[in-house]
Amino acid sequence: MPATTEAKVRQLAWVYDLNKCIGCQTCSVACKVLWTRDEGEKHHWWMSVNTMPGLGTPKAWEQMGGGVDVVTGKPLPGHQPTREEFGGGFDYNYEEVFYGGTAGKAHLEPQAPRENRWAMNWDEDQGAGEWPNSYYFYLPRQCNHCSNPVCMTACPTGALHKTDDGLVLRDEETCMGDRFCMEACPYKKVYFNYERHVGQQCIGCYPRIEAGVAPACVRQCPGRAVFIGYLDDEDSPVHKLVREWKIALPLHAEAGTGPNVYYVPPLSPHRLNEDMSIDYDTPRIPPEYLESLFGPAVHDALSRLKVEMQSVRAGGTSEMLTTLIAYKWQELLGPFTVDPATLDRSNFVPVDSIT
Amino acid sequence: MKVAKLAGTLADPSSAAWQSLEDVRVPLAPVALEAQPTEYIRETWKDRDYGQTAEAQVKAASDGERLYLRVEWADDPVPNREFQDACSAIFPTNGSGVLATLGNAEKPLALWFWEDGRPGPLRLISSGPGVVQKDAAASLGAKGVLADGRWSVVLSGPADVTEKRKVALAVWNGSRDERAGLAAVSQEWLPLEME
Repeated sequence: MPATTEAKVRQLAWVYDLNKCIGCQTCSVACKVLWTRDEGEKHHWWMSVNTMPGLGTPKAWEQMGGGVDVVTGKPLPGHQPTREEFGGGFDYNYEEVFYGGTAGKAHLEPQAPRENRWAMNWDEDQGAGEWPNSYYFYLPRQCNHCSNPVCMTACPTGALHKTDDGLVLRDEETCMGDRFCMEACPYKKVYFNYERHVGQQCIGCYPRIEAGVAPACVRQCPGRAVFIGYLDDEDSPVHKLVREWKIALPLHAEAGTGPNVYYVPPLSPHRLNEDMSIDYDTPRIPPEYLESLFGPAVHDALSRLKVEMQSVRAGGTSEMLTTLIAYKWQELLGPFTVDPATLDRSNFVPVDSIT
Repeated sequence: MKVAKLAGTLADPSSAAWQSLEDVRVPLAPVALEAQPTEYIRETWKDRDYGQTAEAQVKAASDGERLYLRVEWADDPVPNREFQDACSAIFPTNGSGVLATLGNAEKPLALWFWEDGRPGPLRLISSGPGVVQKDAAASLGAKGVLADGRWSVVLSGPADVTEKRKVALAVWNGSRDERAGLAAVSQEWLPLEME
């Protein structure tokens, strides 16, 4: 019998621990600095962190449709986020402030109509609820490298494909900038490059992956809040958190695209009563809100986390909590532990020098 | 349609050189919905009008080296910051081809594609609505002018008209989010005859 020649297709997945994300945007900036400094990419934030509840980026993306009907399997119409809805990429009045002789009077200000201003993290820390029970948490978002990528199936030119690592990548030569991908994506994580007339999104740092280096969002996270690994690797924290312990959940799984970015849902402090006594029965983040994001499994996931925490407080041990604490930084990186500083760069050509 | 032998600045749609030629009226119809290449497009556009630009006008001229086609149609004035108006001159690559589907895999069509705001024209090989591959855009030229509510676009390329023999047109109305295979296209080929 001939040996199979089929390439082994695996699925890379990310797990963000929302109890550890501090909203510092280091992942966002690491991605920005690495990938989106070219023409037409000013407003691109392939990685972004939003305050939840919030409108996020693009503005009100959760109301923009897309995805598939999980009963009929048919694609659902979606809105193509506009340049204004993404916002950001502002020009500033540097000339006026620094050279205009207006010391103390002029201030740096985005050069965009005040009433329409929006940007990647515009509603940071607003959250919801009334004092003393206001609440919010941070939600890092990137392309979900879906198992059922509707961006790919919506595209008329076949510009998108799934790699053997499960990443969804785009051939910019084939892309005609038709933007059906942007409509179809329920996460609204495809950006349009208005200068080059192509769609662009997170590439999973695939050139780093190929060199054994973890993606920038993972490697640079100061909070040790994000893991990467192959879902089928039973030794990987990603596998354990998603498949074994089931405490890492997909975002808006009801969109039917099989997202491969998972989240450990946020625990919250107890509510305070009017007399400032503690209401031990009611978490400050409404469970129904978390269910609207992460599905009904969120309640079990939070319960499981609490049980493990109780057990450790009582002197026990917990592999789950040890994993989440991530005493060893390299455990976050999966098989991609190569230090990028050690790579051979003798053939390296800085992008800025390419004409 | 006669390809007039002309000299002058044919690349400019406003050029006086074009005034001596008569327009040929080209009726257009929407590209077939059922031929749209993805379920997403068919599902999301089944109840939405597209390809409603009913007519374009065309003039053809050559200076001996290049073929110039001046395409004119009524602009939809509704502003749209995301999608731009566009047009194409369409040529067969294999003798003929189905215009209603913008070609197919057996008989792809060659498009000289101009889009408002794009740095230059593209040469596209179209094997279905929006199913296009970029080809070498060598020596294509295009210039569009919007005046008095009408687009005038001159597309130009190598004048190997004897090979091409016929031409068709397509128009995309950016005001209505038209792109890819969502266009109005000629219903019949227009023969090209060198003067």
